[in-house]
Amino acid sequence: MIKKLIVLLTLAVLYGCGSDAPSIFKSEIEGSAKNFEDDIHGTYASTYTPLKSENVVIRNATIFDGNGNKFLDYDVHFSDGKIKNLGLDLEVEGAREIDATGKYVTPGIVDNHSHMGVYPAPGVRTSSDGNEATNPVTAEVWAEHSVWSQDPQYKLALAGGVTTFHVLPGSANLFGGRGVTLKNVSANTVPDMKFPDAPHSLKMACGENPKRVYRSRGPSTRMGNVAGYRKAWIGAENHKKRLERDPEHRDIKNETLVGVLDGKILVHNHCYRADEMATMINISQEFGYKVSTFHHGVEAYKIADLLADEGICAALWADWWGFKHEAYDMTIANIAIVDQARGGTGCAIVHSDSASGIQRLNQEAAKALAAGRRAGFEISEARAMTWLTKNPAKSLGILDKTGTLDLGKDADLVIWDGNPFSVYTKAEQVYIDGALTFDKASNFMPHTDFDIGIKEWEEK
Amino acid sequence: MRLIRFLILFPFFLFPHADDMYLLKGGNVFLPDVGFVKKDILVDEGLIISIEDEIDSSISENVINSDGKYITPGLIVFSALGLIEIGALPETIDIRSETYNAGFDPSDAFNPFSQAIRLNRSKGVTSTVNIPSASGYFAGLLSYTKINNGLKQKKQGPLGLLTSYGQSYDDSRAANLMFIEDLFFYVRNGYDSTKADQIQFFYGTDNEYRFTKRDLEAIQKVINKEMPLVVRVNKATDILKVLEMAKSENINLVLWEANEGHMVAEEISKAEVPVIMDPLNNIPGSFDSLNATYENVSRLHNAGVKLAFYYDQSSGAHNAYLATQSAGNAVALGVSYNEALASVTSNPAEIFDIKNVGVIAIGYDADLTIWDNDPLELMTQVETVFIDGSKQDLSNRYDELTERYTKEEELPNSYRSR
Repeated sequence: MIKKLIVLLTLAVLYGCGSDAPSIFKSEIEGSAKNFEDDIHGTYASTYTPLKSENVVIRNATIFDGNGNKFLDYDVHFSDGKIKNLGLDLEVEGAREIDATGKYVTPGIVDNHSHMGVYPAPGVRTSSDGNEATNPVTAEVWAEHSVWSQDPQYKLALAGGVTTFHVLPGSANLFGGRGVTLKNVSANTVPDMKFPDAPHSLKMACGENPKRVYRSRGPSTRMGNVAGYRKAWIGAENHKKRLERDPEHRDIKNETLVGVLDGKILVHNHCYRADEMATMINISQEFGYKVSTFHHGVEAYKIADLLADEGICAALWADWWGFKHEAYDMTIANIAIVDQARGGTGCAIVHSDSASGIQRLNQEAAKALAAGRRAGFEISEARAMTWLTKNPAKSLGILDKTGTLDLGKDADLVIWDGNPFSVYTKAEQVYIDGALTFDKASNFMPHTDFDIGIKEWEEK
Repeated sequence: MRLIRFLILFPFFLFPHADDMYLLKGGNVFLPDVGFVKKDILVDEGLIISIEDEIDSSISENVINSDGKYITPGLIVFSALGLIEIGALPETIDIRSETYNAGFDPSDAFNPFSQAIRLNRSKGVTSTVNIPSASGYFAGLLSYTKINNGLKQKKQGPLGLLTSYGQSYDDSRAANLMFIEDLFFYVRNGYDSTKADQIQFFYGTDNEYRFTKRDLEAIQKVINKEMPLVVRVNKATDILKVLEMAKSENINLVLWEANEGHMVAEEISKAEVPVIMDPLNNIPGSFDSLNATYENVSRLHNAGVKLAFYYDQSSGAHNAYLATQSAGNAVALGVSYNEALASVTSNPAEIFDIKNVGVIAIGYDADLTIWDNDPLELMTQVETVFIDGSKQDLSNRYDELTERYTKEEELPNSYRSR
C-alpha cells in the first residue's frame, strides 16, 4: 500500500514538472563547491597510521624487485617504514637480521580489483553493499562508504601477500561510483585503512551487466549503454562550464565526473569485449579523459597493441571464462599477450575480483606465465611479478609509494617460503610500512571483531 | 605375479592392433599405494595390459618416449562439463529441471562438443562426474561420463542422489530434516497406487513437493543402498545430523563441501563417509561456514577421511581441470602428495564405485595423462591424453584463438580460414 502511494507520488512529480529532464533523478544539493581531489578527499581523507616500523635486514634472499629484475642472494634493508637499501652483503648496524636463504622476497601484492568490505563475509543480503543498482548512473556513490571495516576476508588476503587493494563498486551500473585504495591493515574505521594520497577511481561498466539490470527501463542494449555514458559526460561538461560562472554550485554526481575530466580521478572500466573496449576509448577521446585500466577484459588480447599504444592497463584473470557470453573467447595467454604487445610495452595486471582468488594471486600469475611461454613468448618470472606489483600500483596512481622495492618506497613486502610461482609456496611474513602484519610461523595476523567469539575450534 | 599376468595377456601381443597399441616408455608412473615409479606401460584395445620396468620397444609401432615425464590416471572431475556452455545463458544449460527433482538425470543432454570439454581434455581430464541442479529438495542424479573426442562416450550411472542440507530462506533446517525422514518413510512403505493416499502430500503442485514416479524410484535406490545420498552440507552440527540420519535410515552417505567438517572429522571418519570438497574454501562465506579454514583438508585427511577434490571457482564446468590446483594447495596445507593426487584420480572412482578407471593397473581402462612435470604444479603442461587407449586430439579453442591473434599474416585475421 505504502509502495503504491510512493509510485503515485513519483508519477505526479514526474508529469507535474513537465520539464525535459525529470528533476527527481538529479542529485543537486546546494552548498559550497568541494574539490575533494585537491585535498585528497577532504573530510573523508586518510587517517591511516602505520604500525611501528621495525629496522630489519633480510639476508640472502632471491628477490623479484617488482621492476622486472631478479637478484640472487640479495639483502633488503628497511626501517622507518621505507625501503632503505637493496644489495649484496649490506652493512647495516642495529637491524634485526632475518636469514632468508632459499626464500624469496617480493613487493607486497597490489590487487586493483576487489569487493572485500562491500561484499563482506559472511555474504548476507543485509551487508551486500557493492552495487547501488537503483540508477544506471551513480557516479555520486563512494565505495568507501559501504566498506565494512570488520570484514574477516582482509586477513586471508594478507596471508596471500596482499598489502594493498582497491575496492570498487560493482558492475550493475554504467557508472558505479568511486573506488578506494586501502592498505591491508586492520582498523576500526575506513579512513584508518585508506592509502594516504591515493586518488579515487571511477568504476564504469560495459556490456551485459548494466543492460541486464536496467533492461526494463533502459539501457537495454549496448548502444543504449554508450548513449548513457555520453549523456553523462555531456552533463559533466555542462557542469564544468557552470562552475566557471557559479563556482559555489554543487552536484554530487558531476563532482565525480568532473574529477575524471580534470585528470584527478582514474577511470577503471569493467569491459570484456575487444570491440567494446575500443568504443570506450573513442568515448574517452570525445570527452578528453583517459581510461586508466580495463578490468576483466577477457578479449584484451585481441586489441593488445591498441591498449599498449594508448597506455591503458588491462587487469585480467588468468583463466576465468564461460560464465557469460562476453567471457567466451578466453585464452590463458591473455595476460602474456597484453604484456608483450608493442615490444613489451603493454601493462598487464593480474586482478582477483574474488575474495578467494585474492589469496593466491601469485598462483594466478604462474598459470598466466606458463600459458604465455606456451604461446611462444619469452617471459621471466621477474617480469610476471610486475603483473602483481608494479603494474597494479601504476594503474591505481600509487606507484611512487608502493609496488616495487625501489629505495624510499613504503616497506610493503613479502617473504615467501619458496618460489612464489609454485603451488606449494606460502607467504611466510608480510610487512606493511615496515611493520610485521602477518607471520605464518607464529600465526600472528590481525583479527577483526567478526572473528571474536566465533571460532568454535582451536587454531593450531 | 606380474610375470604371470604378462603371460596370460601375451596372446594380445601376438595380434597387435597397430593403431591401438601404444608403449609409453620410461615415464614416472603414478601407481596406487606407491606413488611415482619409473615404468613402461603397454596399452592395447583400450586397456592397460602391462606395466613393467622394461618393455621392449619392438612390441609396438607406437612408442611414446616419456623419459622425465609424469604419467597419471586421467583426471576425474566433478563438474557440469558437457551440460553447461555459457553460465548466463539458460538455453545453453542442461543441468537444471523444473519438472523432476530426485529422478532428474541430466546425462542424456551431454554435449561432447562443448568448448569446455575440449579445454578440459587438453588439460588432462578424461572423465567427469556430472553434477545436476534441479529445483526442489533434490538436485538430481550424479552420473559418470568419459570426455573422449567424438560422438559417443561411455557412461555409468546413476551414481548417487544429490541434495543439500542447512540454511534456507524459508523453512527451518529441522523441518527440512523431518521432510526427508517422512519422505523416506513413505517411499520405504511403498508408493504404488494402492498406497497413493499416503504420499499425496508429496505429489503437491508446488515443485518442491511434487514427486513423480521417476523421482520416487531414485529415492528407492538410495533406500536400497544401490547408490549413496550425496549431501551438500557445511555446518558442523548439520553434518552430525546428516550422519545420524544416514545411520538410522541405513543408507550410504557422501558429504559434499563440508566447510566445517574439520570440527567433526573423527565422527565422519568413524562413519566411513567420504567427503568431496575444495581445500581452498576457507572463507566464512555464510553463517553455516563460520569456521571455514584452510586447515579443513588436513584435519579431515589426518582423521582418515577419504577425500576427493573439485575446484570451486571453476564456474560450474569451464575450469574443472583446476582440481589439480586445489590438490597442489592441499599438499601445501598438509595432505600427503600421493593422497592429494589420488583425490583427483582414484578417489572419485572409489567413492562412487565407478568401474575400471582412476588407477594405472593392469586390466584398467587406458585413461592416461602424460605431463611434462609434476601434475599438481601450476606451470606444468599436458603433453598427451589417452581415453580408452585412444590418443586424444588436444586442440582447443583457447590455443586456436591465441594463434589467430599472435600469428603475423598478410590478411587481417578475420579473412583467414583459421
